[in-house]
Amino acid sequence: MKVLKGLIAAATLASMMTGTAFAAQNVVNVAIVGEPDTMDPMMSTKDVVSIVTQHFYETLFTFNSKFEVVPLLAETMPTISDDGKSYSIAIRKGITFHDGSTMDAHDVADSLNRWVKTASRGKGVADKIDSISASDDFTVMIKMNTAYSPLLSLLAFSNSAAVVYPQENIGEDISAVVGTGPYKLEAHKPDQYIQLVKFDNYVSRDEPSDGGSGARTQSMDEIRFIPVPDSNTRVEGILSGQFDFADGLPVEAIKRLEASDKAEPMVLRPFGWPIFAFNHKDGLNTNLHIRLAVQAALNEDDMLFAAFGDDAFFVTDGPLYPEGWFWRTDAGASAYNVHDADAAAGHLKEAGYDGTPLRILTSHQYEFHFKLAEVAKANLEAAGFKVQLDVVDWATLGQRRNNPELWDIYITHSPFIAEPALNSMYSPTSRLGWKDAEKEAILAEFTSVSDPEQRKVLFSKLQEKVFEQVPFIKIGGFNALLGKSSKLNGVTKTPWPFFWNATIDD
Amino acid sequence: MPLYIARRLFGMLVVMLIVLTVVFVIVRIAPGDPAALILGPDATPEDAIELREKMGLNRPIIVQYFSFMTQIAGGDLGRSLFFDTPVTTLLYQRAEPTIFLTLFSLLIAVSIAIPIGIYAAYRRGSFFDQSALSLAMLAAAIPSFWTGLLFQQYIAAGTGWFPVSGYGGPDANFFERMWHLILPAIVLGVVNSALILRFTRASMLDVLADDYIRTARSKGMSERRVVLRHALKNALIPIVTIVGLTLALLISGAVVTERVFNLPGIGSLVVGAVLRRDYPTIQGTLIIVAGLYVMVNFLVDMLYLAIDPRVKY
Repeated sequence: MKVLKGLIAAATLASMMTGTAFAAQNVVNVAIVGEPDTMDPMMSTKDVVSIVTQHFYETLFTFNSKFEVVPLLAETMPTISDDGKSYSIAIRKGITFHDGSTMDAHDVADSLNRWVKTASRGKGVADKIDSISASDDFTVMIKMNTAYSPLLSLLAFSNSAAVVYPQENIGEDISAVVGTGPYKLEAHKPDQYIQLVKFDNYVSRDEPSDGGSGARTQSMDEIRFIPVPDSNTRVEGILSGQFDFADGLPVEAIKRLEASDKAEPMVLRPFGWPIFAFNHKDGLNTNLHIRLAVQAALNEDDMLFAAFGDDAFFVTDGPLYPEGWFWRTDAGASAYNVHDADAAAGHLKEAGYDGTPLRILTSHQYEFHFKLAEVAKANLEAAGFKVQLDVVDWATLGQRRNNPELWDIYITHSPFIAEPALNSMYSPTSRLGWKDAEKEAILAEFTSVSDPEQRKVLFSKLQEKVFEQVPFIKIGGFNALLGKSSKLNGVTKTPWPFFWNATIDD
Repeated sequence: MPLYIARRLFGMLVVMLIVLTVVFVIVRIAPGDPAALILGPDATPEDAIELREKMGLNRPIIVQYFSFMTQIAGGDLGRSLFFDTPVTTLLYQRAEPTIFLTLFSLLIAVSIAIPIGIYAAYRRGSFFDQSALSLAMLAAAIPSFWTGLLFQQYIAAGTGWFPVSGYGGPDANFFERMWHLILPAIVLGVVNSALILRFTRASMLDVLADDYIRTARSKGMSERRVVLRHALKNALIPIVTIVGLTLALLISGAVVTERVFNLPGIGSLVVGAVLRRDYPTIQGTLIIVAGLYVMVNFLVDMLYLAIDPRVKY
């Protein structure tokens, strides 16, 4: 009897300990892959920063489920002058910041001016902007020196984002985390949690929710982001019910998630594309024939299988946009996945290749990068290359790839982005340094015309150039595995998941 | 004795100066750029240069070194590049889980190791002794991350009695936070018990073979008294030494266990700082850890005086 009482007492204590912390309703616990580097979304292009900060900072525009740009803090879509150089943006009235102040066009103009000055994506467009100013309390005017059609997509993107801060908080650094979003920052214990609470004075848009656009319902009182760097720990956390949502799970966990009665898998199909980025500034890859030899030598199918293990999680697909996307075109893609060692050897001969090692820079930070590199090394050696795999940690890779003398290829990946011009790798000023007069002309036209069909034709020319010139190689498409509680609803599948419309069943 | 303490304190100061310099040099020699990491994959090299300038990382190394030493002399461990928070604040925030994890796991380790070590020595060569040694070997050989993952899968997720990871949310009270430490403390406690057990057994075996033990027995003293009063007391010095070293090791952060159980302690702080090349945090944490190490060793030496009256300084 005493033993039984003891067991009951222990079980009660255990349920008290675990129950209060984890079963609290109206709180959604989200396991993210690590601590965000900053709470200032202008300053970072990292996805984890976007995922967290989009709940408390908002942009003028956003994307709906069809990746169309739609207004968020802007009242409507802007009025654009006929020459495409002048944008008049009406701002919504009655929007309150988390500190109680009211948003007006001066806050927006100062925020955009900071974005142009400090954000990586803002700086990329700075040379095309003459001025950003408030023409009255609720209208912002952007004057360009050249037409630039991706501008609205840039303003809508949550990555290196053009968010709006209160004017008085804007400086070189942002003095306080104060936005207009549906949730506000309540507490932040680094590496432990980021607690967001519902912002009572939030004014939602009236349109139905659709992707990131429309009504933001604030169904949950709190959102807690919990940095959990170890992917196995995220898996156990979602399976145990400790987390309601877990980002970035290893693909091997899918069977356990499918078998669980507490959690279920969410497969983001497609998530993104692994990339072999080429150095055009220095070294072997300044020679076109070397790049063509690499393209001819690779067996992308084998590489993807080695990297992802399960063909439910990858697709051997060369075109730069996946099936079903507006930008999809097969132009030039016959050069993909040819795995022709003889053709590669021919290019090497043409290049006068002297056996200098081809340096591939990668890391174990993302295990699939390393696995891709290993198979690529075998393919390239079979074609006659000497290959040097430089496997370093992520911080070192981040430093080395900024020095063109230290690498020939580095491996990275990216989600599919709605607007191709937001991909910096096409730009001659990017880290890759891809310069080609014809490509610059196509790119210039692509970013200045606004007719979607005309742009689509231009993009297909751009893609053709990618396969001809090999500035980088898309290895294929891959899917991402996320996990969610069986009781969690209202979460859209996206690389940047948001929870303002989430609900948890009782 | 006062002269000995003064000498030791001076020695500790010299050690700390060497540690400061070595730590500063090592983190600067390691490749990697905190600015590039903060800015993310799509930032340009020019952006990274600009941020490095802003963070003061483009100053000559010697200037950075003297600025670092001046800061330390003033009791300032610097400001985290990543969290934009004073390193002392970060250490203060991370101290609680590490201190309690250390205490719990040490308690578990000592509770397992010392009684078993004593009994194994007393029953040398017996089945119990052989089993204890084999289990100790096994505990030391199994990596703690593997045990941790098994505990997470079968005990935490399996029963739902324990949290899988973390240290509780914003509304977690002290007891809830401590509840998060139970499984990691068992994992660490079992691993660390192996070494203490082997030291206890070896030390007891030495003492049990001494003449005064035979004398005690020949006087008709009970075995319990012989073992616990006469033998154990004389066997304590190596045991206290190894317990002290284990304590110092645990304070410095049970890096792997903290990582697996996602505990926001000093171990995970230093690992995160290394991965992010957060120089001030790496430096500040290592200085404090080195200081604690030196201090624990000093205290263990002082403890010898209380344990063994024959020890004189």
